[in-house]
Amino acid sequence: MLLEIDWYICTSILGDRMGIMIIVAELTKLNTLSFLPLPMPDLLFVTTAILDILSGAVALLVSYTAFKYNRLIESDVLKFVSFGFMMLGIGLLLEGSLLSLLAFNVGRITEDLRLVYISSLLYLVLQVFAYSSFALGYSRGAYSRREGITTAVFALFLIARPVRQYYFLLGTYVNDITQLIVIVLLSFVVFQGFLMHGRTKSKFSLLVLAGFVLILIAHLVMLGSSIVMSGFIFVLANFVQFAGFLSLLLFLIRSGHIDTATEDKK
Amino acid sequence: MTQPQKTRSRIKIYFDILSSVEEEGNAKLTRVLYKANLSYDRLVKYLDELIARGLLQEIHAEENRYYVITDMGKEFIREVKKAESFLSGFGLSL
Repeated sequence: MLLEIDWYICTSILGDRMGIMIIVAELTKLNTLSFLPLPMPDLLFVTTAILDILSGAVALLVSYTAFKYNRLIESDVLKFVSFGFMMLGIGLLLEGSLLSLLAFNVGRITEDLRLVYISSLLYLVLQVFAYSSFALGYSRGAYSRREGITTAVFALFLIARPVRQYYFLLGTYVNDITQLIVIVLLSFVVFQGFLMHGRTKSKFSLLVLAGFVLILIAHLVMLGSSIVMSGFIFVLANFVQFAGFLSLLLFLIRSGHIDTATEDKK
Repeated sequence: MTQPQKTRSRIKIYFDILSSVEEEGNAKLTRVLYKANLSYDRLVKYLDELIARGLLQEIHAEENRYYVITDMGKEFIREVKKAESFLSGFGLSL
């Protein structure tokens, strides 16, 4: 019963994601009465925080590289890629920092639940912006410019308009709804990436596609973890997401080697 | 899905000219013309731009004109190759 109350409080205030983290932390310590603040750095928080911060660093690196080459080439697609990874990187660093603060209860942050909720919500919103940017960028790359951008913006507008006023009132379901939006956007990105890889047949596009596929799987698993309320599955999803960013890091490393660049193209 | 034939971007044309000059060493105008696949007028225009940007050097020897790539030009080629690899990751090309 106490567990159910704790779960309700956690999910109401922090969203499912945080709720899972806290409830699992509590289950492992078998102390449901004082679930906040957490007295000791929790392994789940620390693990997720490290993965988020590392993933965020990779995302910012991709963003910087796209920005750098955009100055040379002036491609609109690179602008979208750079912007998207910047949003994602900032979001992941924000989430990682927040989890670190929660793990060590720096400045008794766990007592300021509004701050925790707003930070967590901001991360979710940044993710939507990031993946929308990728979807727009990819549509411009895959289709003709005008048609692609118009279709994508129109589709997003149609989806967003009727639900935006309810979005922030969803409380517990904000996380799940955001995950669904992210999954839809990522599915679009993966599909476009698949088409583009079919066109270029390069190992670089395969690495980027693998990265996005892994991130999509991670978000599906995250949604699943929220449904079944499993902290273990949630952490597993974070590892899958990290693998996706590792694939992007590998792409960056490989694309930086001039001698292998021409060999890598099939 | 097929994509219509794209016209070469300015960067790509610079890259093609510089690559052909680098490959030749001391490159004659006719060789560059052939390898870069450009009309004479356009090639002269681009060569002037590349010289003005310090990526190419024009050498007059007897009655012949040669083009030599500068260090900055070699650096430009390296950067464009990296950019090409990066772009191909997102299904794009120069």
